[in-house]
Amino acid sequence: MTIEELSQRIEHLKKELATDLATGTEVKTKYLGKRGLFNELAQVLRQLDPGDRRAAGQQLNELKVFLESTVATAASKNAIDHQWVDLTMPGIDPKVGHLHPVSQAMAEITSIFERVGFTRVRYPEVDWDWYVFEALNMPPSHPARDEWETFFVDGQVSDDKGRLVLTTHTSNGQVREMERLEHQPPIRMINMSRCYRRQQDATHTQMFHQFEGLVVDKGINIQHLKGTLDYFAQEFYGPGTKSRIRPFHFQFTEPSFEVDFSCHLCAGTGIIRAKNGQESKCKFCKSGWHEVGGAGMVHPNVLKAGGIDPSVYTGFAFGWGVERTYTLKEGLNIDDIRLLYANDIRFLKQF
Amino acid sequence: MNILIPHSWLLEHLDTAATPAQIAQNISLCGPSVERVSEVEDDSVYDIEVTTNRVDSMSVRGIAREVAVILPQFGIEAQLKPQHLSRYQDLAQAETQLPLPTIHLNQYLVKRVTCVVLANVQRTQTPDWMARRLRQVGMNIHDSVIDITNYITHELGHPCHAFDYDRLMALGGEIIIKEAGAGQTFMTLDGVEFTTVGGEVVFENQAGEIIDLPSIKGTANTSINAETKNVLLFSENTVAEKVRFASMTHAIRTVAAQLEEKNVDPELATDILQRGTELYVHLCGAQIASPVYDEFPVRREPQQIQLSVDTVAAYLGLELPRAIISTFLENIGCEVELHEEMLLVTPPSFRRDLELPVDLIEEIARLYGYHNLPSVLMPTAIPLTPQPDVNFSLEQSLKSFLAHIGWQEVYCYSMVSAEIATQSGFKLEEHLKITNPLADDRVYLRRSLLPSLIEVLGQNPQVSPLSIFEMATVYLPQPTSIPVHELHLSGVVTGRSYRQLRGELEALLQQLFITDFDIEPVEQPLVNYLQSAQILARKGEELCTLGTIGVLTTGQVAVDILLSELSKAAATHPRYHPLPKTAAIVEDLTFTLPEHTALGPILNLIKNTASSVTNISVVSQYEQNFTLRLTYWEETHTLSNEEIEPIRRQIVATVEQLFRAQLVGQV
Repeated sequence: MTIEELSQRIEHLKKELATDLATGTEVKTKYLGKRGLFNELAQVLRQLDPGDRRAAGQQLNELKVFLESTVATAASKNAIDHQWVDLTMPGIDPKVGHLHPVSQAMAEITSIFERVGFTRVRYPEVDWDWYVFEALNMPPSHPARDEWETFFVDGQVSDDKGRLVLTTHTSNGQVREMERLEHQPPIRMINMSRCYRRQQDATHTQMFHQFEGLVVDKGINIQHLKGTLDYFAQEFYGPGTKSRIRPFHFQFTEPSFEVDFSCHLCAGTGIIRAKNGQESKCKFCKSGWHEVGGAGMVHPNVLKAGGIDPSVYTGFAFGWGVERTYTLKEGLNIDDIRLLYANDIRFLKQF
Repeated sequence: MNILIPHSWLLEHLDTAATPAQIAQNISLCGPSVERVSEVEDDSVYDIEVTTNRVDSMSVRGIAREVAVILPQFGIEAQLKPQHLSRYQDLAQAETQLPLPTIHLNQYLVKRVTCVVLANVQRTQTPDWMARRLRQVGMNIHDSVIDITNYITHELGHPCHAFDYDRLMALGGEIIIKEAGAGQTFMTLDGVEFTTVGGEVVFENQAGEIIDLPSIKGTANTSINAETKNVLLFSENTVAEKVRFASMTHAIRTVAAQLEEKNVDPELATDILQRGTELYVHLCGAQIASPVYDEFPVRREPQQIQLSVDTVAAYLGLELPRAIISTFLENIGCEVELHEEMLLVTPPSFRRDLELPVDLIEEIARLYGYHNLPSVLMPTAIPLTPQPDVNFSLEQSLKSFLAHIGWQEVYCYSMVSAEIATQSGFKLEEHLKITNPLADDRVYLRRSLLPSLIEVLGQNPQVSPLSIFEMATVYLPQPTSIPVHELHLSGVVTGRSYRQLRGELEALLQQLFITDFDIEPVEQPLVNYLQSAQILARKGEELCTLGTIGVLTTGQVAVDILLSELSKAAATHPRYHPLPKTAAIVEDLTFTLPEHTALGPILNLIKNTASSVTNISVVSQYEQNFTLRLTYWEETHTLSNEEIEPIRRQIVATVEQLFRAQLVGQV
């Protein structure tokens, strides 16, 4: 054998090792064992011309270092690979908190309306009677005020704006928005905030949240209100959900509507049809529809109170409880909205 | 207001073959909302919500009129039956006429008075057909003399009252209609005593005794009792505001008051008196003993409304033929004059709610059917005018960040008890107070979120560690304006250390790219805190006081941030630092420090020793031994040990000298 042949065999051995798929210990025995490939090759030294032996020895030494380090790396890697892991063990929970369901609902509502050009705003939660009632076409002691169980604040009375009240609805934002925009439509706002009414039972809490839409411009009509309601119903409750408006009365809208959304369980029919064809009454809704809140075309007196000419501009408004709207989601099953404000962590961590 | 209407009673006023289910479904779409239909005594009873502006629908006949207009819109035949009331002269007359009382009408208080004397009234049992209907609508049964008034009010929608004629005459036979002074006492027919506040409309006799609270409730001294022989059947129509004032002041919320305070049509009093007389004659054997008194000095002039066809189209978004508009309005009882592009509309007397063109548009639209209108999103301009002082996306991302790193969001009531209110550190009188709270624990409007959060932790003792936060407004009273609304983000933590809370606060600030901030302990801790520190941040030249962090007197740790300040300090994006091309040298130094040595100033000092010290962190603490990890780095070259050594020496010397510290080991 010549030194050139030896060089070739060394290269060959390196390549073989690089592509060897055997495990760590097997590789070690195969290349570096007593009768391993290295020792076998080293035997060749004696066959070489004595003049070449020194150079060949160097080459063989380099090869041995290379083999040792490569085999060692492969061995350690394979050892880790082969520590058995019980894949059926349960996971270790990361520490994750939860947004309150009302926050989640408000974020969703905000994004739905922002997609169709509404701007979210915030207005006072403790405000003058004037913004909460009087500017909304409800003069003091009007019977319509009975529908709002109002909390009053002690003391303070303004000469022109009346008493200080806890806002019973987000509608105080209507005239405030008209004032902020210096009586210049277009207006397309969504106002969300805490509201307060003097009542507390399974479907009412003395503090709750509302969201209020207000759109004012030239040429706004009932069809646009219907379009907005249908859009929201689909986005919030899922495809196929429809809205419906029925006659109602509010002092600050004319015409006024009650807004219903079709029940997603029975698709607005009130009847559940089982797979076997049997029909039963939908237990989630009463008649195929869920009542969510009020809406209407902005009353000319409200536009006037906000300094907008009702002979030029028209508009619509709607205002609903966030909690009510949210709890109608399919399968949520919250039957007592007081739970939302009881702050029991066992309840909150489910959201 | 809700009204119960039995189907068979409705059919006395309405001709239709429609089923109760059809009626319920269809009128809810175009008129009053039928909330449910119940089966009561073999009949369907509608529970109908009548809106406050439609007092004309608060009766069987009123609902029949609505149904008669709406059903034909759905292709179902229906017609309002004409009213056949007996004429007075065809009813039994008393042999001896009895004098009417003398009535002094004040037309500014009472718009109409009509009455008739009915003699020899028998106390008969209420007939079955009437008793059944009254039971179906949830009323108690007495005897005919009393039940007739309830029955006709429900049927026709205008209140009336039966006086004991002889008791009224014994008190002087005079009815003086006036506003009460303050401090007069009267007893209602159910035996409850009241004292006037002044301004209530009352009936008085010559002696100044109150003998009736008109349009609200009768008084005990003139009402029917066991000895009643003769009845004065009476129907008055009082000014709505006056009725509401007295009814609300004394919390006497009778059906009569609820009808009269909503401007029930005084024209209806004619039918009420006639129908009542007819029933007293037929059911109680009564005889008419006086002419019919009717004082109606000022009738309301019919109001004409100009309605332009264009305005109708503007609201509906489509053009309806004038003939159709006109038919809808005539069907609800309006008189309509057709002009070019315009209609002159005169609503009937019972529709006082129709005042403006939009009121008529509502009638047209609902009869056309809201369900028949298309649904489209508005094609108008999108306003680009956000409120300048709010940042909803920042609020949302803060909340989400905290939730993601393990915090639970809570919502607490804004109104709190006196005890919780004072825990804010503000005096009770520095809080807004609710005049009419619903419960003792919800009286004051919060000045701080922390006491509520501490309360929530107390309510969840089984969960620890627990970090909760709330983002909400606190209300700062102002002398002449509405309260200042301050939005806070507050958090309280139990079962975790101050350092953990602080680390999370720092991470939160970094999320908002706030890098230049300090946490500076204050000498005098805030109320509620054992120790507190201000959170300060610099943005350019501006110094923002973001809030407070510290240890509460309860041992829990807490943070309170003012959103407006945080928003000022926040940035939307970071400033990029080029990636280092040279290696940093990292080493640990352990110092023994005297007890209660604040570490913050030491870290600041070390960091300011040389610009090469780019980072310093606390690796561990064992008793008073603190191991600090220092990073040395230069942009231009990798530092050598020779370069670092003098810096290290200087650091150790200063720390040892200024803080009485001792390095563990040798420099």
